Amino acid sequence: MSIALQEPIAPAASVQAGPAVIGVREITRRYGRNVALAPVTLDFRAGEAHVLFGENGAGKSTLISLLAGANAPSGGEIVVRGKVARFGSVAEARAHGVRAVFQEFSLIPHQTVAENIILGEEPTNRFGLLAKQAAVEEAQALIDSLGFDLNPRSRVVSLTRGKQQMVEICKALRRPPELLILDEPTASLSEHDAQALLKLVLRLKAEGTAIIYVTHRIHEIPIVGDRVTVLRDGRHIDTVPADTCEDDLIGLMTGRQMAKIYPTPRADLGAVRLSLDAVTTVPRRGQVQVQDAGLEVRAGEIVGVAGLVGCGKGELAQACFGLHRLRSGTITVDGRPVKQGDPADAIRNGLWMTPSDRRHDGLSMGRSARENISLSSYSFGPLRGRWIKTDQENRLLTEISRLVDFEPAKLDDPVESLSGGNQQKVLLAKAMVQDISVYVFDEPTVGVDIGACLSIYNALSKLSERGAAILIASSNLPELMGLAHRIKVMSNGRFVAEFARDEYDEHKILEQFF
Amino acid sequence: MNTLDVPNDAGSRPATSAALAWLVQNRQSATLPVMFLLVFVIFSLQAPNFLTVDNLTNVARQSVYLLIVSLGQFIVIVNGGLDLSVGSTVSLTSVVGALVMAAVYAAFPEFQLLALLAGVGTAVAIGVGAGLVNGLGISVLRIPPFMMTLGMGSVLFGVTLLVSGGMPIYGLPPMLGEWFGFGRVLGFPIAAVVALVLVALVYVLMEWTRFGRQLYAAGGNAKAAALSGVNTVRVTIAAFTLASLLAALSGLLLTARLGTGEANVGTSLPLESIAACVISGVALAGGRGRTLAVLLGTLLIMLVQNGLNLMQVGAYAQTMATGAILIFAMAIARH
Repeated sequence: MSIALQEPIAPAASVQAGPAVIGVREITRRYGRNVALAPVTLDFRAGEAHVLFGENGAGKSTLISLLAGANAPSGGEIVVRGKVARFGSVAEARAHGVRAVFQEFSLIPHQTVAENIILGEEPTNRFGLLAKQAAVEEAQALIDSLGFDLNPRSRVVSLTRGKQQMVEICKALRRPPELLILDEPTASLSEHDAQALLKLVLRLKAEGTAIIYVTHRIHEIPIVGDRVTVLRDGRHIDTVPADTCEDDLIGLMTGRQMAKIYPTPRADLGAVRLSLDAVTTVPRRGQVQVQDAGLEVRAGEIVGVAGLVGCGKGELAQACFGLHRLRSGTITVDGRPVKQGDPADAIRNGLWMTPSDRRHDGLSMGRSARENISLSSYSFGPLRGRWIKTDQENRLLTEISRLVDFEPAKLDDPVESLSGGNQQKVLLAKAMVQDISVYVFDEPTVGVDIGACLSIYNALSKLSERGAAILIASSNLPELMGLAHRIKVMSNGRFVAEFARDEYDEHKILEQFF
Repeated sequence: MNTLDVPNDAGSRPATSAALAWLVQNRQSATLPVMFLLVFVIFSLQAPNFLTVDNLTNVARQSVYLLIVSLGQFIVIVNGGLDLSVGSTVSLTSVVGALVMAAVYAAFPEFQLLALLAGVGTAVAIGVGAGLVNGLGISVLRIPPFMMTLGMGSVLFGVTLLVSGGMPIYGLPPMLGEWFGFGRVLGFPIAAVVALVLVALVYVLMEWTRFGRQLYAAGGNAKAAALSGVNTVRVTIAAFTLASLLAALSGLLLTARLGTGEANVGTSLPLESIAACVISGVALAGGRGRTLAVLLGTLLIMLVQNGLNLMQVGAYAQTMATGAILIFAMAIARH
């Protein structure tokens, strides 16, 4: 599987083997007194995929924003083909052949795929008017050449995040760049789309494109990468070949050795707490209809729902929380039916759902971690009442911060200033400020570094120890295999298979996805 | 506190540019104090009577009406809305409140208190009524706050003109003006005391109650709040009701001060109250802003108007100044 080039580890500063397209020399970035990136020297070579690996806040994003021209360095220089270059803007970086696909998309939601792809350089006819047909054809040709499944006439707003990611990549590849920067490109993709993307990266590499590949997914590194640069706390820790074993990479990234990623699931299970019987939802535009879904989760049990992005597992999670109208079937928590469209009633009955999109559905980004976490406790938890209870709130939040490994000193920071991992911990902590017997987690570790993942897995395990029933919908199959007692696979809104823990086999489960 | 990270290539800089750099870095929180300072310095130099106890007391008293309206506007903006109907609510309260008080006073001239209570009752009824309609339209019918309150503003102003015929309303009980217009307790104007009590109440509501937390949370992210079990419909209705209620109380106090019911007293208030909030750092997108800053923002606007008055700049130019301040504050908040 690994197609790493097996070259000797080159000292990062030296330019040898394969022409360096772009390099950075002692490049740094400071914000006030904070050093986001200590002096780093690296080169990026034609036909090489250079993986940047590190936890959130390690400096990966800073480094690529400097290379993409989105940010100016505080010191050091960027070298393009041996000449010092200054990237004052994204446009200048592009003129030097650098294109970046960031996690935050730059798409116009209400325009079509084709319009987005050609944005800025629209083809015109001889009257100077937009050549719309030509644009669609050009977009289609590009989509075909990349092997994506996209309709150039769809509106971006109606697409899933995975498809939007493809549009973003099409945009970047319309004029083939010399250096392509991909910032966690598979974070929001289904397994299938992720595979397609990895193949595309291999192809671009073979065509001589230099690639910077930022990822949290450690198993992708030997597949796409040639060299891995590990960053930690804004410092360049080491640059190693991509076939370095996972434990060593995690060791470099965190600065400690990982004993064990997944806690052992508890053995004894209690009574059925969450029960879905032949649930079929009323379909909504742009969403998958859940059909005839049956499911039981017992006290202390963790059940995983696996499947591609867009298979309906997100909708299933929402349906459990009463966010979809049911055409038929019943959903009960401890024997009580879940009311439709009434989160307050659901929480009162001991049911909680953590949405997958923390930015849009989960957190009030401008408010403090404290206010976000304690919000529902004032209605449903131990803080219940009309008045703010400072002491009690402090005690509760300190205790819960400890459970999810969140630094209590950061409780009063606005959530938007926290790293993705910490935001996800806040989202998890929100779920724990009142008595809940059934938790539904939709993508509990999306876009989160491994350190934060470990904390989240531990917290989930503690919830299960306390006797909560937990349903996890996740696109991260290894995570489900590590955590869950059982995995149910969903495809096109239906459950198509179920695996008990002793039957887990990544390939057999993946086969059921399609 | 303000230790600076001077880039090493620049060497040591003179203190003034270091201070300037600090200001640029902290411009969000520094805007209000700096503008205050500028206003004081400029007007003290230009208008001889500006920096006197009499004048500043005067400004404080004149600020009461805008301050109360701004508090309501603040609550609504934190919730992620906007209330363009506050001006019309003030006008309607002034006219209808005056009519009711004049009628009761005419019927029972020896019971002035009764007329006053009737006035307060009318104000509360108008405030709660207008606020409920705004809140219901926005949260249940999902009409954008901008359109809903713009429309309501027009409706209410139409009613005001219809009821008053465009004429001032006389015959108010003298007690109204003696107490709420010009009265003092312990040397402080009663209207100002009322306003400060309202500031304290709104502060407690926003910082120390569950409702405040829910208001900030829903303003920051309505969907997240709803999924956390917050009844966002109820929070929005409550926010708009409070805003209209505060506007109505301001209308009553203004009527007491003027001694007549006037249809056009509220015209400039929507813009001025929004300006006061924006200058105070209240985010128009919702979820952000502090109660006490709104107090300062309001005073700043009133100081500018007062200073321009003393410099004998006409009312038309003052209107221009308020708009310019709003744009300027917005520009700073955006960068």
